[in-house]
Amino acid sequence: MKFLCLLCVLSSLPARPGQSLPAPALSDLTAQLDDVARVGSVMVDGDLCRRIVTPRALKYMFMVDPRDQWLAGDNYDVDDVAFIATKKTLLRLSRLVPFAVDVNLWMPIEGHPDKIRVVIRNTHEMSQFWPWGALYQDMIPQMKTVLDSGKRVTVTDKPGWISVLAPVSDSLGDVIGVLEVVTQTQVDAHANVK
Amino acid sequence: MGGITNQARCVIAGCVGLSLLAAASVRAGNVSLRAYPEFVRVDPFGQMVKADRMADATQAALMQGGRSISLQGSRGGYVSFQLVAEPTGNEAYTLELRLGPGESGIQAEVYREWFHHLESDQSYCPDALIPIQLPYSSRLPEPDNRISRQTAQAFWVDIWIPSSGRPGVYRGGAILKAGRRSVKLPIELKVLRAIVPEQDVVTVDHNSYGSSWLGEQYPGLVHSGSDFYTSDAFFHLIQSYHRIFYEHRGVYHQLGYGHAGKVGPEFAPALAGEGKNHRVVNWELYDRHYGPLFDGSAFAGTRRGARPIPFVYLPINPEWPASFVNWGEPGYEAEFVNVVAEMEHHFREKRWTATRFEMFFNQKKRYMGFPWDGDEVRFPKDNWYFMEYARLLKKALPADTPVKFVFRADVSWDMEQQFHDLQGLVTLWCASGGILSWYKDAPRMLHGRGDLVWYYGGPPGVNEPSASITKFPFQAWLWGVDGFVHWLAVDPGQDPWFHFQGGNTALVYPGDRFGREEPIASIRLKIQRNCLQDLALLDGLRDRRPLQALKSEAAQRYNNSKLEDWWNPRPPMADRSASEWTGTGIDDATAYTSKMLAAIGPDAWASVHAYVMQLIAEVP
Repeated sequence: MKFLCLLCVLSSLPARPGQSLPAPALSDLTAQLDDVARVGSVMVDGDLCRRIVTPRALKYMFMVDPRDQWLAGDNYDVDDVAFIATKKTLLRLSRLVPFAVDVNLWMPIEGHPDKIRVVIRNTHEMSQFWPWGALYQDMIPQMKTVLDSGKRVTVTDKPGWISVLAPVSDSLGDVIGVLEVVTQTQVDAHANVK
Repeated sequence: MGGITNQARCVIAGCVGLSLLAAASVRAGNVSLRAYPEFVRVDPFGQMVKADRMADATQAALMQGGRSISLQGSRGGYVSFQLVAEPTGNEAYTLELRLGPGESGIQAEVYREWFHHLESDQSYCPDALIPIQLPYSSRLPEPDNRISRQTAQAFWVDIWIPSSGRPGVYRGGAILKAGRRSVKLPIELKVLRAIVPEQDVVTVDHNSYGSSWLGEQYPGLVHSGSDFYTSDAFFHLIQSYHRIFYEHRGVYHQLGYGHAGKVGPEFAPALAGEGKNHRVVNWELYDRHYGPLFDGSAFAGTRRGARPIPFVYLPINPEWPASFVNWGEPGYEAEFVNVVAEMEHHFREKRWTATRFEMFFNQKKRYMGFPWDGDEVRFPKDNWYFMEYARLLKKALPADTPVKFVFRADVSWDMEQQFHDLQGLVTLWCASGGILSWYKDAPRMLHGRGDLVWYYGGPPGVNEPSASITKFPFQAWLWGVDGFVHWLAVDPGQDPWFHFQGGNTALVYPGDRFGREEPIASIRLKIQRNCLQDLALLDGLRDRRPLQALKSEAAQRYNNSKLEDWWNPRPPMADRSASEWTGTGIDDATAYTSKMLAAIGPDAWASVHAYVMQLIAEVP
């Protein structure tokens, strides 16, 4: 059944920014997000993801200097090649459904098991979890579940939001990140335009 | 009211002028009416706010003003002062202002000053200016401001002198009535022959991001219709923000996209198709938003006249008009070039050729949307993306287009490298003031190749001396750069009325609370406008006196500084890659000017203003 759904999804028109497409029923939305998440787990290259954020950025991420409140952000840097390749995959994944969806990449931080960070965000600037501007944040329990179990989890805690969280694995089979496939039942065209 | 269009009752007689250097006051029994210069703010208890208190001697001189107001000013500009009414107890009072005669064309506007409760030190400070009709009647405590034991209410008075006004002396007065008592403060306004130039020597920009904040600040408008963000009221509201800054000799920018490329519908035409078939399909919202701004009709009826806005952000970002999914491939180039070419064609057809359309990249890597910094590049590798977008823009535009597309870059860490690497590509530079301060030769070098140079910072809070806001346009003029940007000027916080955070991101306030579907100005915005008038006048004297001499004298009067004091020495780290610098290193390297500008005296600009008045009075 899921395979048939996916076929339907794949044959749909891709959603582009600024295009409005009819939204399907709530239950169908969740099913379609789950399909995207499942495909994403296969398609996103975990080894490449590991190379996105530079060692320098990670080194400064937790440094605190009372004289320099922007220390971490000012040293945030990424590997262009790894970022672009992964982002393109995420963007293609979001086009698997005919409504506005973002596929965001989240990753844990070595040495900080209680923290997690978003690594790539996308076109509609949607996330059920990211407080705007955070370089990292407290571990989200549902993401920890995905990281620990390798299983997909659907989150609808925030009214009007649906996120399906899916594991990203590297070539060793380790779960190294989480995809957040996210949509809103009512898209706010003006939120996060800042 | 004849030629005087004051919504209040205002009759002007004689001449007009623009300098009130000492307080004046009259008293009858317990009823008191005092006048203060624009730089001295008074709290709801009749005391000067702490930040505006001056040295003892100056303070004493200020308080020994006479029993009348003496003003002077140029034509084509404003003269401002403040009135403080102190009626007795909670007795009803009425304020009136009379200047005459009506045929002079001189207009007065009076605003009630809102006393904001500052969370930081639990004090009150006036800033928001609520337009009022005269005669104004109320009682203390002012019912909506709700300050217990309030004894004084302050009013801001703007007097507009038209360019066609006749030089001379005009007389009138301010009258406060409370119960049976009445006091009159005579006003004398001397209008000088000089005319404030229409064009400013410094462009002061007021920046903002997106439009969701409009919905938050104007709940009354949002709930009055079904779809606020496509309503005429919405577009009128946006245009009213452009108008208030324009009327205060400024410009207004509204960035229409987010750090990951989300574009607000009203900031861009609607697109459809992919790759070579990617096209504009609908201009409706874009044209409703920008049409009146680009043809100037949004400014009809303003004192400065209907003119197109001089600058605007384009919605171009790494995700618009081309999808980043095709970055680096022919499809990205096709999508970008097709749509930008359509935009150029549309603008040309509409004859929107007076505005500079800015391709500007605001995204930062730290917000995880894209792999390069468009704003404040630190890592030199990112400059390659600028070169690529310059190539795409050039390909999209006809060589002889009359539409002014410009590539703007906001630069800090790596600006020196960018000035070099992006020569001929970026032509509008918006630079960090701190870092620019050690590249003294940069403005001249950039001007030499035809580029525009602005620098950026943020509005001073209301808890700083009132004259602090003048340091930005003044520094721009002293430096010889073209403009200054307040990075955010429309966000007064969640509750600016009773729990104010200080106003470091706002120079206007939503008028919704007062039944106005438009922003209202602040004291700081008025002071900035008056400073810009003075700078335009001062710079206009360069054919009579060497510009450097004018600048030197103004700097000396402002804060007893020399021109070289406004620059920092080039630090050794400037010779290393910006990726090796540190934030604290930058702070250290800018400490000299930071320290100098940290403590602007409340009377700093008053001294410069007096100098300007003195000079223009000498002009035959």
